[in-house]
Amino acid sequence: MKEYLIGKIDDIPEGKGRAFQAGRATVAVFRSNGKFYAMSNRCTHKGASMCEGEITNGGTVVRCPWHNWAFNIATGEHCYDQSEKIRTYEVKTDGDQVILYA
Amino acid sequence: MNEAFRSGVEREKAEAVFPDPINPKIRQMEVIDTDFHFTPSWKTIRSYLKEPFQSLLFHYPVGSLEYNPEPANEKPGVGQDTHGVAATGADVIKILDQFGTDTVILNPGYNRPQSIFNEPMIAAIAAAHNDYLINEVFPVSPRIKASLMICHRDPFMGAEEIRRVGHHKQFVTVYTSFSALYEPLGNAKFDPILDAMQEFGLTLTCHSEGFFPHFTPLWNGARTWIELFGNAPAGNCMAHLAAMIVQGMFDKYPNQKVIFQEGGYWWLPDFMLRMDDFYLGSGGDIALVERKLATGEKKLHKLPSQYVLDHVRFSTQPITMPKNRKHFAWLLEMCHAKDLFCFSSDWPHQTLDPANWVVENTDCIDDEMQKALLSGNSRKLYNRL
Repeated sequence: MKEYLIGKIDDIPEGKGRAFQAGRATVAVFRSNGKFYAMSNRCTHKGASMCEGEITNGGTVVRCPWHNWAFNIATGEHCYDQSEKIRTYEVKTDGDQVILYA
Repeated sequence: MNEAFRSGVEREKAEAVFPDPINPKIRQMEVIDTDFHFTPSWKTIRSYLKEPFQSLLFHYPVGSLEYNPEPANEKPGVGQDTHGVAATGADVIKILDQFGTDTVILNPGYNRPQSIFNEPMIAAIAAAHNDYLINEVFPVSPRIKASLMICHRDPFMGAEEIRRVGHHKQFVTVYTSFSALYEPLGNAKFDPILDAMQEFGLTLTCHSEGFFPHFTPLWNGARTWIELFGNAPAGNCMAHLAAMIVQGMFDKYPNQKVIFQEGGYWWLPDFMLRMDDFYLGSGGDIALVERKLATGEKKLHKLPSQYVLDHVRFSTQPITMPKNRKHFAWLLEMCHAKDLFCFSSDWPHQTLDPANWVVENTDCIDDEMQKALLSGNSRKLYNRL
């Protein structure tokens, strides 16, 4: 596992996602209610880019942009079936910088 | 050291990326999308409406029993069009390029006009839709083909519209739907439509659509989008297909090809076996259907399952893929996918299928089959492609 600097806090607008290349992994990082979350950018259903997904349900859910599948933004688990899960990554802030562990 | 950092962990800069969700291989292959919904503005359609409809149809829909998937998708204001609206030829080309599609067959997109109670009104809207395509959309690009829209509930008006514009080469098929009918399309009363289609060599499209009036009890009592559009279309599709076969449609029109859209297909193995079994044991009343009464024939020309292989194709969207790889491979084989399946996206609806799945399941779909699904089968199906 490596530590990746993905940018400053304000590089990711509130309520939005951005994709980052962390080694071989393409990771979607979201900012929701002031917190940062990260998951694999590839939806487990049919491979859509999760970074383009809409954050809903009070900031707790990110929905796949192709088929509306709803995943818990913190755990990556599908809201209707927890066995359907997108891999999540740890993400933290250090001052005004956002750090991803992947 | 700040607690946000872990000792001994190397830190690198991660670059922001903008991944293209479309598999690069798709952009290198020929892709024909057999089901893409095109939705001109009502203002545009109205400008093409003949009188007295233009003066009196102020807005659309004009009134029907309606249900849409907004409560199911928890997305207000978009109805089925969760991925946007293509209203012009330029809109279409932009989306084709986005998804790596070479050629598209536009289907009518606005909300279920076949559900309108007034059949001349449906025919007028269909004519306006077709005239807009001819005048303003087809000239944009030869990549754009379309279904010819008709009022299929009235076979004579349907035939009239086919003869009015069917000569235009960018119409490659005639659009009908499982529903908004009181009888299955295989019934002989629809022969005027098929007679007209023979004059132009047009493929018949039969797409899931509509809520009222409808030839199916499957929607009665339904409450959810899952019942209405997730499940019922498969039953409707089977009913129409069975009627086409056993009521002798393909015997009367031996060159006619049909593509079913959004009715599923994993049910095909059972359907084909069951139809053959019933035909061999209980086929006596086939002599009593209108087309057989007209010819005096007492049986079909071939086994029911053979008509599926010879005349029928299925657009792929929405593809459902079992996680067990053997099961997926078996389903594809048992459904004759290599010969019967034609790629479709169903853009812009919520169950959109980009073509990725065709090239990303190489353990089940080899290179040859990828080409067949993405373009080869469609080129064989549509005489005008």
